[in-house]
Amino acid sequence: MRALQFAAGLAAASVFAVASAQDKGPSDPQIAGIVVAANKIDVDAGKIAKSHSKNKEVQQFAQQMITDHTAVNKQASALAKKLNVKPAESDTSKALKSAAKENEANLKKLKGAEFDKAYVNHEVEYHQQVLDAIDKVLIPNAKNAELKGLIEKVRPAIATHLEHAKHIQASLK
Amino acid sequence: MKSALRAVLAAALLMGGVAAHAAGKTHAVRIEGMKFVPERVEVAAGDTIVWTNRDIVPHTVTAAEAKVESGELQQGKSFKFVARKKGEMPYICRLHPVMQGVVVVK
Repeated sequence: MRALQFAAGLAAASVFAVASAQDKGPSDPQIAGIVVAANKIDVDAGKIAKSHSKNKEVQQFAQQMITDHTAVNKQASALAKKLNVKPAESDTSKALKSAAKENEANLKKLKGAEFDKAYVNHEVEYHQQVLDAIDKVLIPNAKNAELKGLIEKVRPAIATHLEHAKHIQASLK
Repeated sequence: MKSALRAVLAAALLMGGVAAHAAGKTHAVRIEGMKFVPERVEVAAGDTIVWTNRDIVPHTVTAAEAKVESGELQQGKSFKFVARKKGEMPYICRLHPVMQGVVVVK
């Protein structure tokens, strides 16, 4: 089980590396695609946690993820529409989605405390990766000022989620 | 002459402004970057505090003990509260309890 979690973690860890390994950074439509995919993935994981977990703290965290990432995506989609930027697929968004599928398949096999640990561990890793991607890939490459502004505005929420997830992670040990 | 008149008018306007404020000031608190800005506001009894959510995610202003609850504030929405009881009123965002603020009523 541990090996599986580790493997899933490794797969997820490499996801954002794809973007930084590219010769040139992602375009604005690709950045919009990454933002939308990254948020949707965490909403979906939150929904699984809400239906699978019996832990009150985990449930509340999952609901917070659903609420916050839904709100971000609503604004990201509205901004993309306003700027006439059509979110585009990229190697990064594709890698994100396939890593998310693996994580979901892994989570759905687990129950009780095992589930809670796996979900929260993944949330810690995922938010850390998203935070790194924001700083190293998304903000430096965003050309449109409003798109860049939106990502800068999202950053404190991701940082708070990460701290919250770490706090729960420590309490589950 | 004209400039003297203007000065008198300006002074009258200014004093009028002060008089209006004496009835109860309004204090603005922005919610942005997962913080209440400023985190601490000192007000007089009868003053109004207006929280406005400038963040990308929804927040609340919740002081359980004082029974103050804004409900979920979406981006751009505000919540108004008139401070009556003297003392400190700590509050949090119910959705993100790490976000804390305090209203000090003097």
